[in-house]
Amino acid sequence: MTQLILDLKPEQIPSLDNFVAGANAELVGRLRAIAVPGGFDMIYVWGPPGSGRSHLLAAVAQESAPRRPTALLAGAAVGTDLTLPPGGLVIIDDVETLSADAQQALFRTFNSARLVGLSLLLSGPVPPLHLELREDLRTRIGQALIYEVKALDDDEKSAALRRHAMLRGMRVEDGLVQYLLRHGRRDLPSLMAVLDGLDRASLQQKRPATLPLLREVMQLQLETDNDEAGSV
Amino acid sequence: MNEFWSACLSRFEQELPSQQFNAWIKTLRLEEDRPSHLRLVAPNRYVLDWVRKRYLSQIEAISQDFFPEPVTISLAVEERSAERDEPEVPETAVSAAPTPIPERPAIRSIDPSYEKTRLNPDFTFEMLVTGRSNDMARAAAQQVALNPGTSYNPLFVYGGTGLGKTHLIHAIGNAVYQSNPAARVCYIHATDYVSDFVRTLQQKSFDTFKRFYHSLDLLLIDDIQFFNGKDRTQEEFFYAFNALVSAKKQIVITCDTYPKDIQGIEDRLISRFGSGLTVQIEPPELEMRVAILKKKAESEKACLGDDVAFLIAKNLRSNVRELEGALKKVFAFAHFQGRELNMDVAKEALKDVIGAHNRQITLELIQKTVSDYYKIKVAEMYSQKRTRAIARPRQVAMWLSRELTPHSLPEIGDAFGGRDHTTVMHACRTIADLRTKDGQLNNDLHVLLQTIKG
Repeated sequence: MTQLILDLKPEQIPSLDNFVAGANAELVGRLRAIAVPGGFDMIYVWGPPGSGRSHLLAAVAQESAPRRPTALLAGAAVGTDLTLPPGGLVIIDDVETLSADAQQALFRTFNSARLVGLSLLLSGPVPPLHLELREDLRTRIGQALIYEVKALDDDEKSAALRRHAMLRGMRVEDGLVQYLLRHGRRDLPSLMAVLDGLDRASLQQKRPATLPLLREVMQLQLETDNDEAGSV
Repeated sequence: MNEFWSACLSRFEQELPSQQFNAWIKTLRLEEDRPSHLRLVAPNRYVLDWVRKRYLSQIEAISQDFFPEPVTISLAVEERSAERDEPEVPETAVSAAPTPIPERPAIRSIDPSYEKTRLNPDFTFEMLVTGRSNDMARAAAQQVALNPGTSYNPLFVYGGTGLGKTHLIHAIGNAVYQSNPAARVCYIHATDYVSDFVRTLQQKSFDTFKRFYHSLDLLLIDDIQFFNGKDRTQEEFFYAFNALVSAKKQIVITCDTYPKDIQGIEDRLISRFGSGLTVQIEPPELEMRVAILKKKAESEKACLGDDVAFLIAKNLRSNVRELEGALKKVFAFAHFQGRELNMDVAKEALKDVIGAHNRQITLELIQKTVSDYYKIKVAEMYSQKRTRAIARPRQVAMWLSRELTPHSLPEIGDAFGGRDHTTVMHACRTIADLRTKDGQLNNDLHVLLQTIKG
């Protein structure tokens, strides 16, 4: 019988402070500024999945909400209307998923942003030049201040992973983190998910979170992934 | 000698848009080196290179008309500028980190009557950079601003997105407001006009809506293509249009295409749109893009070197908005890094704007695409044949290479069978000249540009 675990995860509210900035220090600084009313008016952030875009956007929404009217929306959730009180901050994740109506709504928001003093924070997977959106909207996004979320290097990833482990109350050896970085996927979210899996396995099997257990967890993860892929 | 130089100046002043004239020609100084040897002194190496590439042959041609004896004209860089730079170094180091982009104050103290116009005070004729692509439109707009309601009514401005249509019509509004603050001016985007109209119907306040639009002295309506399929709005706009025009009140309309091509708009409106003057804005050419960047930098009181301006202008070609976005990025990056804005800094900053996956446009790609398009062999691009059927596509390919790649003229010449850089220059001029006269060629160029840019 396996040990049932009380799956209490530490509450990890995305914040700009718990984002390991690495080469993104300028971006993080800009994002702090846009959370403050009257700050910089338009920012577009891009990067591949797992680069931390959504974390950053959610973090800005957290910081900004008490200070100015804030709306955080996923691109696919934007409808025909996109209104916010003057002085507000509109945050849209994954602009590439905007529907035709939503693109029109965002286009109108761009046009009125100056008059009503709105700020915009948008994100997508590619730079504006390669976005497949209406041209009049795409060029407006291209006028924003553009940042690529730069991937962390291995030292920074290792720091981020250690911090993640610490928040869960795990003790991990340096060698374990190194192994994970060498053998795992390159993006931080999946690396963190592996650590979470390791933590669960360690509690269930009452074994310390060591390298052999990590290997087992990763092997198991690989097999389930293959099964899923096979069943499709 | 002075007379010769004044003759040159006046010739260029007529031929070139003023920004280009001021940037390239007016900064030059002519000296007599020794008899029948003239020297043109440029303020920096960049201007020198540019003048050598683009204007020197023309200056030489004028000299042949002017002097009975042939004269040689050489180019040199102002020596004092080098000396002058040195004592300034500490100062530039401080000001080099460009001033942060001024954050807009949340509320601007503007006159409430101005605020009602919905005009953007930043968009004026002074801030508008003019070049070959928009000088007609600008001239027409200025004419309209001087004599609203009586010169061209309506003025219909069309062109692709991000080329400055909105800037132009705001400029008309600002100029009219400035000369007569009592004038009732209104800028409105077509989508806002539609939603205002729908709202008035819901709130049964149609009379107020009608009274407002029929009493204007100047109506500036942006992106009229958004009236597509909005029949009730079109009908109401038709009446407003007639009321204003017959009262000699000015209407200015912008659109992404010319009147006959707009989709989903009543014929009676389309014929009225075309009844005044229709002018086009085209994408800005390289020099104009550079001029736009320099103007923008100047207005933000930041210094922008010619090399960096060229780098940005070469990388962002299709519209002004993205050009401005890139400039903003470069300034912000240099400021954050606390570094002087030089080529390395700019290249680093532009990575975020362009992305690493940008398809590399190579000379080979251009040659291949153009050969395919005109159904000739790629080898003809390097061959010595000069028949029209081969030479013209080759010239087109050279022009495209110049527009789309950062290669120098000699490099392009090399890639086309070891031709001289002057041949490339001639090709670029020929194509630039022909495309204004030859619709078919212009169309070919558009298609090729789209294909190559991917």
